[in-house]
Amino acid sequence: MNENNPVPPLISQTDAAQRLADKPNPPLAISPSGPRPLGDDPAERVPIAHAFAAIEALLRQPRRLLFQLRQPGAGKLIVGMLFVAFFCAAVYGVVAGTFSGGTQLWAAPVKIALGLFISAAICLPSLYIFTCLSGAQSRLAEVCGLLAGLLMLMTILLVGFAPVAWIFSQSTNYIGWMGFLHLAFWLVATLFGVRFMKNGFSHAQAKSQAGVNVWIIIFLLVAVQMTTALRPIIGKSDTFFPTEKKFFLGHWFDTLREASENNGTAHRY
Amino acid sequence: MVTPLAPPRSIGAFLRAEPGRFYEWVMGQPSRLAGFCLVSIVIGAGSYGAATGYWRNPTQALYTGIKLPLVMLLTTLGNGLLNGLLAPLLGLNATFRQTFTVVLMSFAITSIVLGALSPVAWFIVWNAPPLTGRTNIASPEYAMLQLTLAVFVALAGVIGNVRLIPLLRQWAGSGSVARHVLLAWLMGNLFLGSQISWVLRPFIWDANRPVEFIGQDCFQGSFFETVFEAARRVIFL
Repeated sequence: MNENNPVPPLISQTDAAQRLADKPNPPLAISPSGPRPLGDDPAERVPIAHAFAAIEALLRQPRRLLFQLRQPGAGKLIVGMLFVAFFCAAVYGVVAGTFSGGTQLWAAPVKIALGLFISAAICLPSLYIFTCLSGAQSRLAEVCGLLAGLLMLMTILLVGFAPVAWIFSQSTNYIGWMGFLHLAFWLVATLFGVRFMKNGFSHAQAKSQAGVNVWIIIFLLVAVQMTTALRPIIGKSDTFFPTEKKFFLGHWFDTLREASENNGTAHRY
Repeated sequence: MVTPLAPPRSIGAFLRAEPGRFYEWVMGQPSRLAGFCLVSIVIGAGSYGAATGYWRNPTQALYTGIKLPLVMLLTTLGNGLLNGLLAPLLGLNATFRQTFTVVLMSFAITSIVLGALSPVAWFIVWNAPPLTGRTNIASPEYAMLQLTLAVFVALAGVIGNVRLIPLLRQWAGSGSVARHVLLAWLMGNLFLGSQISWVLRPFIWDANRPVEFIGQDCFQGSFFETVFEAARRVIFL
């Protein structure tokens, strides 16, 4: 056994916590390092009564929403946020369905809303594990709340993009262009949602954002694959679900090739 | 004097733990920590293995779900003596039991990450066309599946090992000793782990054989011979 390096005394979390407890409480207003603590403004402590208030808080007072998501009994708020996200996704789905019309008017909203929620459910375990690994002191309920915030902000923004998408849906027959447009809108909306979520994690004493960044890549990949798994969302098909399994890159190349052969009007997307 | 602590009671507490806490766990009650790690490996790596094997059929899912944790546990057991010898030789004051627990801890973190990624892996597998008819081993779909699953395993492995560095650094009191010990353990585990994986193949789908727990030719050849042969073919065509 090597005795050259005696074991140095290590400071445990309990010891560190005891030392912190012995110190006087720091002022709440401004933290010398890291972001301003949540709840230092009395306005942030006002409870969010219903889903519409949650939308307003998300857009105008995100810190208030973040504070409320950390409070006990935030489950009702999270359910409300998920409901808003589902409704907004369905609204955007109807607009996406207007490109083809017919059965796509109900199939597209069902697929978009369900696809979004299934993607989130698939990625939730890895999000929780990566936040734990980053040292963030977030409970599973808080992680669910931040994910619900991501979905809600994303889908609200999609509803904002809906009129633009509708105009193009009525103006063009080129499915490749419509697919690109919807993906671009979805990407922009997702980036805003991700920004909200990362803002939330910055208040959870995370030492690193690397894990969340990796998770974002996984979430984006799952979501784009979901659009392929549930195809067609924009175009027409005889069946509700695809009969052939494909990865999204292969599907996109096939669609573009088919669209160019048919003067831009491929049937599936 | 370090006060022994109860082992982690939740995955969250285990993953968020500081190096000091890890050290206290290893010093305090390594057998209970090992038990926690064992359960994590069986559930985490098992669920990822099941998701991977599900591409072929549920029986393959069951087999791979058993084999993947087995690879980790057999690697830990097989290299237990070597790892315990290398640690003091490279300057880390640790007993066999402690090194065994630390390596097990690294595999447990890897398994927890794999378990968390198993719904994503299952989704990818579910989207992959079966290895029959149009899709074959040379198809891009197969390559995409293999690549994604391998990237997840690599990512989880990197996380599991990187989490050990702060613990080893504090334990050894030197960054270079910590790096050397980790590198030595890594090389040993990779070397043995690759061959154990080779023996326990197939994990995904062997199109030439029926579903079986271990192939009949399990002890024929080695992982490294195959890699060497593939490299020789690529270089010399």
